[in-house]
Amino acid sequence: MAPFFHKLSILFRRERFRNELEEEMAFHRARVEEELRSEGMAPEAAHTAAARQLGNATLLREKSHGVVGFGFESILADLRYAMRQLWNSPSFTIVMLLTLALSIGANSAIFSVIDGVLLKTLPYPRADRLVRVFLSNSSYPKFPLNPFDLRDYRARNQSFESIAGFTRGDVQLSGSGEPVRLNGFGITAGYFHVLGLRPQLGREFDQKAEIPGNGLQVILSDRLWRSRFNADPAIIGRKITLNTQPFTVIGVMAAGTEHPGNEYHAVAYGESVDVWWPFSFAGDPNRRGSHFVEGIARLKDGVSVEQARAEMNGVMTQLGREHPNNDAGWTVLVIPLYDEIVGKSRQLLLVLLGAVGMVLLIACANAANLLLVRASARQRELAVRLAMGAPRIRVLRQLLTESLLISLAGGALGLVLAFSGVDALVSLLPADFPRANDIHVSAPVLAFTFLVSLITGLLFGMAPALQASRTDPKQGLQKGGRTTTATGYQSRLRSALVIAEVSLACVLLIGAGLMLRSLLNQMHIDPGFQQKHVLTASLSLPHEQYKTNAATGRFYDQLVGDLSALPGVESAGAGSDLPWTGWDENAGGFSIEGKKPQPGQEYHARYHMATPGYFSALGVPLISGRFFKASDTETAPPVILINHAMAARYWPGENVVGKRMTFEDQPKEKDWMTVVGVVGDIKDQPNSPQAEPGFWWPELYAANPDMSIVMRSSSNPELLADALRNEVHRLNPALAVADVQVLDRIVNTSVSTPRFAFVLVGIFAALAIVLAAIGIYGVIAYSVSQRTAEFGLRMALGAQQGDVLSLVLVHAAKLTLLGAALGIVASLACARVLRTLIFHVAPADPATFSAVGALVVGVALAACYLPARRATQADPMSALRAE
Amino acid sequence: MAKKPDLLPGTLDMLILKTLTRMPLHGYGIAQSIKRLSDDVLTVEEGSLYPALQRLLLQGWVKAEWKMTETNRRARYYTLTAAGRKQLGLEVSQFEQMITAIGRVLNDAQEA
Repeated sequence: MAPFFHKLSILFRRERFRNELEEEMAFHRARVEEELRSEGMAPEAAHTAAARQLGNATLLREKSHGVVGFGFESILADLRYAMRQLWNSPSFTIVMLLTLALSIGANSAIFSVIDGVLLKTLPYPRADRLVRVFLSNSSYPKFPLNPFDLRDYRARNQSFESIAGFTRGDVQLSGSGEPVRLNGFGITAGYFHVLGLRPQLGREFDQKAEIPGNGLQVILSDRLWRSRFNADPAIIGRKITLNTQPFTVIGVMAAGTEHPGNEYHAVAYGESVDVWWPFSFAGDPNRRGSHFVEGIARLKDGVSVEQARAEMNGVMTQLGREHPNNDAGWTVLVIPLYDEIVGKSRQLLLVLLGAVGMVLLIACANAANLLLVRASARQRELAVRLAMGAPRIRVLRQLLTESLLISLAGGALGLVLAFSGVDALVSLLPADFPRANDIHVSAPVLAFTFLVSLITGLLFGMAPALQASRTDPKQGLQKGGRTTTATGYQSRLRSALVIAEVSLACVLLIGAGLMLRSLLNQMHIDPGFQQKHVLTASLSLPHEQYKTNAATGRFYDQLVGDLSALPGVESAGAGSDLPWTGWDENAGGFSIEGKKPQPGQEYHARYHMATPGYFSALGVPLISGRFFKASDTETAPPVILINHAMAARYWPGENVVGKRMTFEDQPKEKDWMTVVGVVGDIKDQPNSPQAEPGFWWPELYAANPDMSIVMRSSSNPELLADALRNEVHRLNPALAVADVQVLDRIVNTSVSTPRFAFVLVGIFAALAIVLAAIGIYGVIAYSVSQRTAEFGLRMALGAQQGDVLSLVLVHAAKLTLLGAALGIVASLACARVLRTLIFHVAPADPATFSAVGALVVGVALAACYLPARRATQADPMSALRAE
Repeated sequence: MAKKPDLLPGTLDMLILKTLTRMPLHGYGIAQSIKRLSDDVLTVEEGSLYPALQRLLLQGWVKAEWKMTETNRRARYYTLTAAGRKQLGLEVSQFEQMITAIGRVLNDAQEA
């Protein structure tokens, strides 16, 4: 402790300490001098000898200061010096700061996404024990569960502490104010128990609620409770009106109750659910063909995912023996919830992190290059410092302090960019991106940025610092005031850095190019419908007002008729769903006249409903037969339309029109549905490998209450929005017209993931090529300035301007071509990572590779053109005089 | 300048402390005294002397005060403190132990 206080007292009497040391050493020198004189040396010689004997006064002082000083004092001095140096060369400082801020900021922004999506633990207690449960067979790799199966899993399994099911089902809340559509989920008993969550008020559903008719109950989200019910603490037991029916509130979940995500009619992750109602089911437990419940479970302690999967498959095999028609041939998938949520995004994010990391490496190489130029320009300054007795380690530290100062300042600026960048990034994210609400510039991001800045500073500062501290004071001083030529080592280092920059930029450009091609492929894919000039909207008829199929069918028939009569409307229709919006309703277990399914391969198809005008409004082509007619009603003989994929799968090579299928086990004549036409395929998603088999019931026959309206306009479809609302409200003023949007937008949304990937990688690639161009420019310009005399001499000896120009350009081309070649090789190695992210593009796409190669060489040569011109203007006389 | 043998590392502090047991001295005096007592074998470089003195001051093993010399010039005189005396004892005994140990190794090496 005592030494510390001593140091402290010296710190505050620094001036006095310095003076005393000075005086003490002067005294010493004087005594040595006296002694030498008394030995007979001449006074002047004695003076010099004494000074020499005492040694380097500066060094000596620094050593004594070092003993009594605190470490940070010398660092502060270094910092002050570094700031002065940077202040004195503003253009250098600005270029460095900007490139570093951009690249570190981009890294922080991407890391924010990675931190929020991949690194943060899921917001459930012991979330690592949570798994999702799906079924799988050869036609449906990932399929929801049947409720009766789920009930049996719950009774028979040994692996799960608890298991529950849930399924999307929105409801309309009315009674207080404007009716609103709420995001709702039907959940089985124990759903929140599985998640490890508890209601803040009331309780969750018990198994009695799973039996239909046991009373209408509902659990509210914290947000709904606060916004619509003023956080009424006595809400439990109150009745609220959902779908025009009274539901009793039995619970309110706490804030922070996050939806674990779902496959079927997916709702965004996060606090996206407003109400939960009890999932109830009844009927014949031996008919298990329909699958619409999603499973979620909590593993028992000590049970691995693998064990649970094996055990559940045992249960499923058992069920398959008991219900061979429906339950045979399925395997059970048990997928950790974390993987299910982030799995699809992980690779994209890691690729983005890799891309942005490359940008940072390029920025590092660039910074190192700039510093190397500066280091040679400062060789004299460093030589002087060394000659004055500055220890080498101090000079090294001084240079590193400068680098770190730049990189940390760049990092701080980058953080500012990251704050705004993250918002832009989140708004660019595809709508179905998991955990977007968890993406913030958080503490880990701050730590990451600091660390990255530190490492960046060390990385780009190390080479020039080592190089500069090797400066020989004698040589540095002898070279006079001019900057010295680059040593062979240094110019090799700089060339290597430029080659590295070019090759990294190449990799990024090729990645961006592949993603662009993939995006264009997806945008120009034949969607199977005509996306232009179409307005869409969705309607939901409350059961209480439209109790019969006839009433529902009549409403849509009337509405579509009214809409078609509007001026500017070419055709109008209604359908159960719109393309590419995630509709995946399946009907299984039907029979086809004259055919028998393979055991365990029962017939499945997507089912839809449509009015007659739906297909022409969407622009879906008719391949054979006819569309629906107004006469295809509940009372007429049942008809269906099928898509081409269904025709090809179940009636390969046959003329399908007139063929029949049925959902009844013992069909009567009226149960057979006749195929009256085949329509073109629309894939589930634009990049789905193929269209799923699907069929349509006439809306007048099947009467689906929730329909999407489709109107094809002869001009701007958005102008029809008000007319649509008017027509709907003329029929029923209480109906909400939801999701009014043009079909173009749906199409745009469907490519949001490839667009997101392309935009980001594209930005990084653009940044990379600009940085690489700066790097090449820097190296060539420097080498030209070093060789001015040589060029002058060459021209004096008769070289033409073109000779000198090509001399410089060849130098640049060598670096660029080598970099581009390395970049292409690296890209071939990296492209495999991209395979799952790109669509209909070979990872080694020759067009992309050659275009990028040409672009890089072009940009590089353009960057060198100015310095090359300068070389041709070298004046022999002034060059010689400068020597 | 002829090369003189370097001091054993760590012994400078001990020599300074020992020199100061007889009387307070200034830096130059310490250097002179070590040189004289060692028959010119040990030269204390000024470059190490003053940092060493700062170190000893910091540890509280010596005190420093400005006094007038015989020739009426101001000089900083260093005095051994009680703690310094104790430290000296410690360092001397450690040093002797080490010398004995080294001696044993050398003798053994000769006999072998």
